[in-house]
Amino acid sequence: MSENGGQAILVETSGLTKRYGSKITAVDDLDLTVNRGEVYGFLGPNGAGKTTTLRMLLGLIKPSSGKARVLGERPGTPASLSKVGALVESPAFYPYLSGWDNLKVVARYSGADKSRIGEVLEQVELSGRAKDKYKKYSLGMKQRLGVAAALLKDPELLILDEPTNGLDPQGMADMRTLIRDLGRGERTVLLSSHLLGEVEQICDRVGVIQKGRLVAEGTVAELRGQSGLYVRAEPVEEAARIAERLAGVEDVQQKDGMLRLTIDPEKAAEINGKLVEAGLRVSELRPAEQTLEEVFLQLTGEQQEPQQQKSEQTEKEEA
Amino acid sequence: MGSSFTAETLKLRKRPATWILALIWVVIIAFSYFSTYAFIANTPPAGPPPAGPDGEEVPAEVQEQMQAEQEAFNEALLESLYPENLVSNMMTGGVTNIGSALLLILGALVLGSEFGWGTFKTSLTQRPGRLGVLFGKLLAFVVALVLFVLLGFATAALCGFVIAQLEGAAVDWPSLTTLAKGLGAGTLIFAVWGAFGFALAALFRGTALAIGLGIAWVLAVENLIAGLAGPNSDNETLETIRKTLPGENSFSLAQSFGSPLPDDFTGGFQPLVEAGQAVWVLAAYTAGFVLISALLFWRRDVV
Repeated sequence: MSENGGQAILVETSGLTKRYGSKITAVDDLDLTVNRGEVYGFLGPNGAGKTTTLRMLLGLIKPSSGKARVLGERPGTPASLSKVGALVESPAFYPYLSGWDNLKVVARYSGADKSRIGEVLEQVELSGRAKDKYKKYSLGMKQRLGVAAALLKDPELLILDEPTNGLDPQGMADMRTLIRDLGRGERTVLLSSHLLGEVEQICDRVGVIQKGRLVAEGTVAELRGQSGLYVRAEPVEEAARIAERLAGVEDVQQKDGMLRLTIDPEKAAEINGKLVEAGLRVSELRPAEQTLEEVFLQLTGEQQEPQQQKSEQTEKEEA
Repeated sequence: MGSSFTAETLKLRKRPATWILALIWVVIIAFSYFSTYAFIANTPPAGPPPAGPDGEEVPAEVQEQMQAEQEAFNEALLESLYPENLVSNMMTGGVTNIGSALLLILGALVLGSEFGWGTFKTSLTQRPGRLGVLFGKLLAFVVALVLFVLLGFATAALCGFVIAQLEGAAVDWPSLTTLAKGLGAGTLIFAVWGAFGFALAALFRGTALAIGLGIAWVLAVENLIAGLAGPNSDNETLETIRKTLPGENSFSLAQSFGSPLPDDFTGGFQPLVEAGQAVWVLAAYTAGFVLISALLFWRRDVV
């Protein structure tokens, strides 16, 4: 297993690509690293290539080109699968078996100890319905059984693809708490989602995928970018001149009658004082921090523009 | 593969479809025995045949001969149900007809349903790997088909025994060698059709088309070729093709155990292919179908 700054890399892909025919590229030259012990959020809009990537990491889909290593092994081999727990898209179990028997089947496949069945059912709070047939389960219960199956091996790496799909708000909150708990300590979680709030709350590091390509990677704070302050003061030109001279201000931008200062938001009171002292009227002062949603829309929107321009150009040429 | 095998046996054992097919198998064997017995028991003695077109009566000696023939046929039919004819009865009746179709359905269900439920993404992300899962499944299926053969023979033996008791006839059993050969041949015939179901399910990634086409092959295609290459045809190519078909070889292997009825009533029917050749052809088909299933399962993406 290779290392990244002293941390073992559990998942590593290099130039990973999946093409369907000559027209569709689901995953395009993807370089991804997931370190031991982190909760990695794999973020992207629907159809961005998240599930295809995860399926390749589990050996369900063969890549067209590129390499992938999971726990230092080739994806889909018994050596790699023995330490990986996974829930890919919607959970899939045998409808005629009970929840308990379904986990028994999974335990037999994986060689997990039968005593783990009770433990994981308890963990996902499904013990009371364990003897019911799977086909009678609600969507939320099916999802929880999927997580229980993924935990059965007590895996080093947990791959969860949209685990909160179909859950009600309470179920989503419970699932987030569960994933956060699971990610504590040595276990690594690779969580795919298009729900930004979910990723923002749970993940240590995030990778954003768009049209099969990784367009950004970093901690949530890194992706949000530099923090600062929004200031509404009059006259705005005078306010900008004063702000540029203040200590700690790295950048001043003017937009829509407001200033955006790149500065530690803790210095808001100090800035306010200087502007008022200079005789300016300050009507608004608030922290300027991009939400992950804003970053996400920027990243995915920017990627769409060239494509849109290209198609518009093609349409013009055809006309 | 061991872990996969135990998982597969649990699934097969708890699957209602397995038990429903087993029940159909038992009911059809018992029905064929007892419906034949009921037919014999309820056939009235042959009365005077109808008069000819010009009102001419059939001579008494012809009437007696016809009556004797009918009684002899009923007697032979009754004796065919006795335990001594267990193997030939099962091979020519149950195994090659309904049994093969049931095993084709079971084979298609065992593999094909998993595509429909999407459960391969669950099993294939556990430890065994693709071929481990597939061969565990195949091994569990082989156990199931052997149990199907044993169940069929046990049902037929019980039915034959009950009928012999009802008739007060002596209960003689086939020799152990004949029984062992019958069980082996039955297993081989079931294996080829089960593997055919497996391969079709792997090819079409589902059950509906696999079962539909499989049954169509058994009932229509092979019968059509057999009809075209029938005794009145001198088309040697069709005759050669016919000798290589799995259905024809299954039938020939079954026929090698003889007919439960004397030749007087069957016209001394001879199998098209010799038993030895049929065994090799069927074994080759089974291996071929397994190989096709494994290749498809190994190479294709699981989406």
